[in-house]
Amino acid sequence: MPNQNGSVYGLTILSPIINDERATPSHDLQIRNYLATVPTGEGSPFALAPGTHLARLVVMDDVIYVGSPSIEEHLHSKYLVFESNCDGDLDSYLLGLATAVPQHLDAIWSHCVGYPGAANPQAFAAYMKACQIETTFYFAAVNDKSVPETLRALQTQRAVSDFIARHQGMNAALLQAEFAQFATRLKSEPLPASGSMGPLRGLKTGGRNE
Amino acid sequence: MSNINGKVYAMNAITPMKPWKTWVVRAIFFTLGHVKSLQQDLINLSFIEFARWVVVPRQRFPYLGNGQVKEDLKYDYLLFFSNFNGTWNQYIDAFSAVLSNGLNLVWRWSEKFPGSVPVTLFKEYIARVQFDTDYYFTAYPHATANDLKSAHIVQASLDSLVQRAPNCTPEEFRSAYLNFVIQVQAHLGDTGEAPVIF
Amino acid sequence: MSKLNETDIQGFVLRGYNLPFARYLFLHFEDSARARALVGRLLPVITTGQRWDHGKPQSTANIAFTHRGLAAFDLPEATLLSFPVEFLQGMKDRAAILGDTGINAPEHWDKLWLDNHVHAWLGINGQSPEAVDARCSQIQALMQETGGAMQLAWQDAAAIMDDGKPTSREHFGYTDGFGNPDYLGVERSTQPGQGKLMPDGTWAPLATGELLLGYADEAGELPVAPVPHILACNGTFMVYRKLHQNLATFRAYLEERSAQYGGGMEKLAAKFIGRWRDGTPVELSPDWPDPAIVQDPNRNTNFTYGADPQGTRCPIGAHVRRVHPRDAFGFNGRLIDRRRITRRGLPYGRPVPEGEPASDAEDRGIVFMALNASLSRQFEFVQQQWIEYGNDAHQGNDKDMLIGNHRGHGKFVVQGDLSATNPPFLCTHLPNFVELRGGDYFFLPSITALGMIAMGLVDPR
Ligand code: HEM
Repeated sequence: MPNQNGSVYGLTILSPIINDERATPSHDLQIRNYLATVPTGEGSPFALAPGTHLARLVVMDDVIYVGSPSIEEHLHSKYLVFESNCDGDLDSYLLGLATAVPQHLDAIWSHCVGYPGAANPQAFAAYMKACQIETTFYFAAVNDKSVPETLRALQTQRAVSDFIARHQGMNAALLQAEFAQFATRLKSEPLPASGSMGPLRGLKTGGRNE
Repeated sequence: MSNINGKVYAMNAITPMKPWKTWVVRAIFFTLGHVKSLQQDLINLSFIEFARWVVVPRQRFPYLGNGQVKEDLKYDYLLFFSNFNGTWNQYIDAFSAVLSNGLNLVWRWSEKFPGSVPVTLFKEYIARVQFDTDYYFTAYPHATANDLKSAHIVQASLDSLVQRAPNCTPEEFRSAYLNFVIQVQAHLGDTGEAPVIF
Repeated sequence: MSKLNETDIQGFVLRGYNLPFARYLFLHFEDSARARALVGRLLPVITTGQRWDHGKPQSTANIAFTHRGLAAFDLPEATLLSFPVEFLQGMKDRAAILGDTGINAPEHWDKLWLDNHVHAWLGINGQSPEAVDARCSQIQALMQETGGAMQLAWQDAAAIMDDGKPTSREHFGYTDGFGNPDYLGVERSTQPGQGKLMPDGTWAPLATGELLLGYADEAGELPVAPVPHILACNGTFMVYRKLHQNLATFRAYLEERSAQYGGGMEKLAAKFIGRWRDGTPVELSPDWPDPAIVQDPNRNTNFTYGADPQGTRCPIGAHVRRVHPRDAFGFNGRLIDRRRITRRGLPYGRPVPEGEPASDAEDRGIVFMALNASLSRQFEFVQQQWIEYGNDAHQGNDKDMLIGNHRGHGKFVVQGDLSATNPPFLCTHLPNFVELRGGDYFFLPSITALGMIAMGLVDPR
């Protein structure tokens, strides 16, 4: 199935935005205005809810006219595009969003036609699926690692680099002991927050420079 | 509102296609999805984290009633979403330089597509059909696709050394550790801020 | 491909003169009519690309302009605006893009560059200091007669001498001046390793349009250029950077780190840049320098990295592997063919022989000049993506060991193998071995274009 690549899922959603001439500002602008205020780092709703590698929200105003001799045509509705690259199973992903960040979802999607609200996660998931478009071709550079596994690996990489630098030329017995301690410390280290600039260089890796 | 978050760029593009051509595109993607060697070029390019093409047939724009007016279109549309590392120019330059055949295969069915070579016309076309991202999230803004792959290699190598270490004499450990360093030595680049986009 | 008109192209563009002494004058124009008159008088003095079949001249002279300099000639607005944005802005305004921050930020540059007064670069090369002086006086006389330009400053540069003979060494002790691209129609004969890699493993000259405006480039099109065509054609862009070298820091760092490195000091020095100090490519001879390779033009630039993906011979982050990755990114090198630059430069300041005390404070470094058809696509890309960043080489944020703006936090991995003399080794806490002291972007016009400028006859279309 083209939506899935290994263990990652490529979700594409186009939600029609309410077209109400009496609304000021218009619903599409209200979405834009709100999105401009949503944190993009650790405070992001996609960091708070589980399972998102990368995701974007885009107000698609219209189709694009590429010039004569092609035909000029226009959409009746604007669409909110939600493109997400997430872990695993779609239902649990959508339910996870509805459970973790319903206020954000409501603030964004309440400007879309037929949106039921996130208070009822099942209804939310059903709505999202009604707006889903099947991905035709989906590419993922890494398709077998979850978000937590990825954050863990990035943390490990930095710690390992520091450890190696600090233990060059150390005698074998000491090295082995230091390594054992390092491995234990690294294991108990909390996972860096999703959406953050990664682990701080705080982790003690021992060695001659400390 | 930005197309950029940390080390990734979110590109959105939409191009019109005559409906009969949509079937050709679907057939091409079907084989692309199943022929690993074509995907291999995308992997080797190594600066795309995720990318997708989505065909939206003209009667298949989501319709939810509730007063929404049904779309009435002559064209089907090809949507393209990419999450890539580096600059816009670098990305399109590279596509044009090494993937031109593949891109032509995918996009030549779109109206007014000029071909992916020469690159300046191709860039003009992409710039015209691109639309901007309002909100962009990445779980790891400090990392590129290459950084991720490196990190996973380091993690796997570390895990296996951690397993072995307790059963080693110091001398055995020294040699296992040296092997470990050699396994990870090409994968230790720092993660961090992206260069300024230009 | 059309034959190049060597009499219309400035000689500095077509070849490194290999003249050991140089002086670069920086000029300011005050009045457009007088400035044009000066260019008119300079025209016969400008060295063209014509071959020196009857021996080298005593000296040469070439000229290039900043965007402000071109504006000072009162060129039409439509022409001035048609130049690429990076040239319009100038190098100082590109500091954030180039990673010229911290100690390399414009506020630390030589005063010359701070108030945007530099309008022209006038480059003089010569066989002797006297020849340079003579040419310089001739030009200064023209400046005086016409009142066309004010001389703001000058920069002397010279090859480092060995017993009175010029060498191609730079201050850190490395032999420089091997790698430079060959272009179609420019070289008489091409040298393997200098052009682009072909699918069959041979080397071919790069398209002329990677160096000169008005010719097809590697993307199969004419490079983006200002209008009118005749103003741009046979011209090119030049970046000028005065790069200070912290010699004491370099020597101390190398000595201190190599004490822990199993391969010894000279090998570590070689790993830093990918060539032994005598110039032997590490990729070809990883264990010792080999003068036979250095002397052999069929070998001294003829190597690739594809068989060394782990960097166990030449480290992945070594200077020459970063700035010219050859086949390292796959696709037969096609990803790098439009990122090449032509280097022209010389050391400045007093050389200090190995073993004699050196200090960072002394004025010493390289006048780095590079030519390319597109500053942003070629020089700026190399500087930002390959020197100040490492993602293309799978090196994350690690910077070029030798010239990166490390601020004391840099890291360089010397990849290795199981042997005792080639162990994996991490160099951490990298300081700035090199600092930027100023510079700018220049346009080097053709002889025809100089004539048009002199006559005030430039139409935007
Ligand atoms: C003080 C500063 C610098 C020093 C001491 C230095 C030193 C060297 C040395 C010793 C070589 C090897 C000789 C050769 O292959 O010709 C070299 C090559 C090279 N350098 Fe630098 N360099 C400096 C700055 C730069 C900068 C700023 C750039 C580019 C923006 C650059 C680009 C190159 C290129 C393209 C090569 C040729 C590589 C090849 O073709 O294999 N260098 N440099």
